Amino acid sequence: MALDNWSLVAIFEIVVFLTIFPLLIFGWLMGAKGRHPIRDAPFESGQTPMGEARRRYMMQYYPYLIMFVVFDVVAMFLFTWGLVFSSISFSQDYVFLIFLIILVAPLAYALHLSGKHESW
Amino acid sequence: MVNELQPLPTVQEIVTLALSIITSRTFLEIIVFPGFLNVMLGAAFLTWLERKVIARVQLRIGPLYAGMWGILQPIADGVKLMFKEMIFPERADAKLLMLCALGLMLLAAAPVVPIPFGDGLVIADMDVGLIYVFAVISLFPTVILLIGWGSNSKYSFLGALRSLFQQVAYEIPMWLSVLGIIMLTGTLNLAKIVEAQQKVWFVVPQILGFVVFFTAVLAELERTPFDLPEAEPELVMGWMTELTGVAFMVGFLAMYTKLYLMSALITALFLGGWSGPAILPQPVWFLLKTFLVASSVVIIRGSFPRVRVDILLRSAWTRLLLVAFANIFVTVGVIWLGLGGIWRI
Repeated sequence: MALDNWSLVAIFEIVVFLTIFPLLIFGWLMGAKGRHPIRDAPFESGQTPMGEARRRYMMQYYPYLIMFVVFDVVAMFLFTWGLVFSSISFSQDYVFLIFLIILVAPLAYALHLSGKHESW
Repeated sequence: MVNELQPLPTVQEIVTLALSIITSRTFLEIIVFPGFLNVMLGAAFLTWLERKVIARVQLRIGPLYAGMWGILQPIADGVKLMFKEMIFPERADAKLLMLCALGLMLLAAAPVVPIPFGDGLVIADMDVGLIYVFAVISLFPTVILLIGWGSNSKYSFLGALRSLFQQVAYEIPMWLSVLGIIMLTGTLNLAKIVEAQQKVWFVVPQILGFVVFFTAVLAELERTPFDLPEAEPELVMGWMTELTGVAFMVGFLAMYTKLYLMSALITALFLGGWSGPAILPQPVWFLLKTFLVASSVVIIRGSFPRVRVDILLRSAWTRLLLVAFANIFVTVGVIWLGLGGIWRI
């Protein structure tokens, strides 16, 4: 009975599911039930909740998120490069080192900007 | 037209088949040792270990009454939480919250599959093991954001947003810090990475990578000094605020499962995995190292104050990322000087 990797992952996840899901159902059935407007209010440290929770929030560190989107893709390229690094020769490697340097330069500039609050 | 009936299998045949499945190595690996029971018991043990260690740091004793040294405390807590009422805020999506707690557990347990707990003691010997683990880890912010949105509570949503930023920011240094290992070994298979460390552990040549990876893991786990998503004085319990009863138990256990498996990942990547003197069996060495890493995470929690949000994000992008790049360039130099031969698979 040879199973490939992904069916092993699937079997493992099914085992976890079959244990945790009945637990949740059990907790749902066993716990007391009842509704009361004060108890059903969101927890706000004893204060009466004011306003909606689902509304616009200020995203203070948005540029970092944009940097993530850029570097996310690049990091995956680096993985494929790292895998074959030892088996390819210097003449093929230096091209990728140039790629790395081109990558680090704008990063350094972005981080230079991030040090100044007024330009970030 | 009458079909010919197949003869029904006898009871003995069914029992034999069931026994052969239950005693098969794959099944035992999935259910018992590197698999399900190991993950759950390890996570439950870690909740106890954390309470004990943090109590000693704070000159207390910690749980004492349930079992010897309070070791059965996690079970007592689990039973207590199972019978608690689940209170969800009005207009919160209760079904979504419960499903997200379940999804969190599924995600947290998934990285165990390619991690080798001994020589050949691994559920699936994946060639893309490392990528698989990182792919699973990168799914966490999605579920956490869903929990924050679904609870319709300000604390939860703010905690979820912080968690998203933090995990996203620290993912990149984490990936780049293991690149040195991949370059030295030329494989993504965790079992082969452990085999490559038989002579010298990767913590020696990759010390910069180890520091970056450990810091990034602390941030991914939302542990002090990076526990902003659940900073108790500000956000009560962060995105877990509105999880109650058994949903809280599952979510909480999922975070400890994540701690356990990330410690196991650090052990496999940097601390030589199951390798050690033959006086103890390999899995024992692996578990010892794993719990040592987990205890150091807990001791760090007991010793350091929490950092500010802007410092947290900027230090990820400036210091950690640059150290990770420095590590890559150092590794390139080491390989070009021809010193990487002993770690080559």
